[in-house]
Amino acid sequence: MSARDFLEERLGLASAWRGFVDRPWPGGPALRHAVFAALVYLFVQQALLGIALTTYYSPSASDAWASTAYLNDQVGMGWLVRGMHDHGASVFVVVATLHVVALAVSRAYVRPRELMWFAALAILGLALALGLTGNPLPWDEKGYWAIQVELGIAEQTPGGSIIRRLVQGGSAAGNLTLLRLFALHAFVLPMVVAALLVFVARQRRRHGPAPAGAARAGSYGDGQLLLDAIAMTVTAAVVLGLTVHDHGSELFAPADPTSGFQARPEWYFLFLYKLRHYFEGPLEPIATMVIPGAAVTFLLAAPVLEKLAGKLGRIAVLGGLAIMLAGSLALTAMAMADDRKDESYQKSLVEANKLAERARALAKTGVHPQGGGAVYWNDPEYKVKQLYIEHCRNCHALEGFGGGEAPELTDYSSRAWLSALIRNPNDERFFGKTKHDTMEPYGSDKLSDEQLAATVEYVVSLMEPEQTLDAALVAKGAALWKDELDCNTCHEIDPGKDNEGPNLAGHGTLAWVERVIRDSSKADLFGSKAQMPKFQGKLSDEEIAALSAFVVARRSPPAE
Amino acid sequence: MTIPRDDDPDGKTAAPPTTRRGLLTATAGVLGIGVAATVLGPVAVMLGQPLRHDATEGEGDFIPAGPRSLFAGDKPVKVDLYADRVDAWNRVVQVKVGSAWVLAQGGTLVALSTVCPHLGCGIDYVPEESKFYCACHKSYFAIDGAVETGPSPRGMDALELQDDGQLVSIRYRRFKIGKKTQEPA
Repeated sequence: MSARDFLEERLGLASAWRGFVDRPWPGGPALRHAVFAALVYLFVQQALLGIALTTYYSPSASDAWASTAYLNDQVGMGWLVRGMHDHGASVFVVVATLHVVALAVSRAYVRPRELMWFAALAILGLALALGLTGNPLPWDEKGYWAIQVELGIAEQTPGGSIIRRLVQGGSAAGNLTLLRLFALHAFVLPMVVAALLVFVARQRRRHGPAPAGAARAGSYGDGQLLLDAIAMTVTAAVVLGLTVHDHGSELFAPADPTSGFQARPEWYFLFLYKLRHYFEGPLEPIATMVIPGAAVTFLLAAPVLEKLAGKLGRIAVLGGLAIMLAGSLALTAMAMADDRKDESYQKSLVEANKLAERARALAKTGVHPQGGGAVYWNDPEYKVKQLYIEHCRNCHALEGFGGGEAPELTDYSSRAWLSALIRNPNDERFFGKTKHDTMEPYGSDKLSDEQLAATVEYVVSLMEPEQTLDAALVAKGAALWKDELDCNTCHEIDPGKDNEGPNLAGHGTLAWVERVIRDSSKADLFGSKAQMPKFQGKLSDEEIAALSAFVVARRSPPAE
Repeated sequence: MTIPRDDDPDGKTAAPPTTRRGLLTATAGVLGIGVAATVLGPVAVMLGQPLRHDATEGEGDFIPAGPRSLFAGDKPVKVDLYADRVDAWNRVVQVKVGSAWVLAQGGTLVALSTVCPHLGCGIDYVPEESKFYCACHKSYFAIDGAVETGPSPRGMDALELQDDGQLVSIRYRRFKIGKKTQEPA
């Protein structure tokens, strides 16, 4: 006995294959019968890709985003697998719809195929449910806000608050929400879809795919097999093509419950999103429940309609389906057009993409276990910004935040800052609320704009030799400094010397700012009147250096 | 046309496949293989990532083990080594990456990994016998780490140690288990 016979005797694969290929196919091969093959293919593809994704994805509120960013951006071909799974979901919705249409067109909803028709409708519903439960899983801004809105809609239905608590795993979104969505998306819903697909396949075997018109001799293998294979290939090519075209699937910044992310549902829910716009306030349930509910009821009633009204019923079924499809398509197109015209939405999308890019770049060095938003801790500027907020911002305003007690540090020690300071040092923006009140203001009556520019240029020349300077102005300023303005009676310019005002040698440089942070009451700095806390010993050398760099780096470069 | 049944495994009663039939089936098969490849290819590459890149980082640098005075006695001291570590998508700060036995040998300090070279259990010290002992499969090691009895294929793994008189640091590494000679894991 050959190995082939040995296996055949035990498994019967060859005869099963022949039985599959040689089964009669009364109506002859038709493209509309191949939609089911595409649907089966998509299910298998989604299952395989989904299983691959579970080997990297972690459904917890702290890990979901970081693990998705890791598998998408750092794992070889991870972007392709995730992208195909995401685009596959979209195509699955389209093909499940086409499957319903194909059955309707083939009149495969009347006796004895009513259950096949119900199963096809259920598969379409489950395709949408798989999208609802799958899209939030990355726990990025889009996913998080989408599920918030969707649970909000569910909450409006009778008993909806119970549904929300059950799906969400409590009153707020978190670890349990992700685990529940994941269990539904990866186990429960796919098992039901698989069972329904098997059921439809068996129904097709039992009754044939559709009522045959003129009976034609021939079997499945005579043409439908190849048509099915072509349908599967085209489907796979579309999924792959979309994925490559979009460079995978989008991943926004980690979910932030405090952000104003402008949430939009997945494209296949946009028609419902748009429909909701026409029914505001107490009428909202008409859009979220009454109309969709009526549509589903109508489709479920198709077998009865035709039985009751005959030819008129068939016209009603096909007409109703056509109106639903056309309406959904029109609403979808309108929602997309609205968003394209909506400047605020487009602007927020640009911002969201920028933030996503930054978060994903930072995630490449690993996200702290606190997860999600903790990715921003990787930004070196984040730490120093926190230091500034903690230790400096209460007194020194910066870029519109904080301040009031001490000089503003926005554009600190730039030409513009120095000019404004010399014009009025006692302004609240500068030393107005400090004990340094001895420097007299130099209004335009005492100092012309031209002279002011020269003085400032000279003061800037005391900072760093590599400054781009206007030599003529510096010379003019130097003369003003000593002779006309008598600045030198209070401000020394040779390092180390002290006087009434701060020594201006190297003022505004990194080293100078560091010295001020350490101890601003040094005799050659602000002296005994200084109120700023001494940070020497309170902050580490690195922290002081980082803060100094943080302030100095924000100074705008000299105007050309 | 007759459909073959299970009791007719050879399908002798079925019609012989025509050339056209064979061509259709073969074409469908080729398409099927192509489609399967577009899905299974990327999946295989994705699953094979650990063969190309390590998902964890954080071993390899000298890690402070403790002040020199901690190891002044004549008994081995077990130290836990903490370092920052990247584990796939996470960066974990100061997590325990491993531990080592530190002891003086002829005046200089030596560090021995607590990972048993047999199957990776934790090696303990038995003060009464002045020996190291792995309780999982009963391997005994001498005070210098050499195998005395039991299934361990080699002595305890020595780790690089730095002693500047004040601070003792150890470069923590893992080695392949079950090998006669030390190989990096």
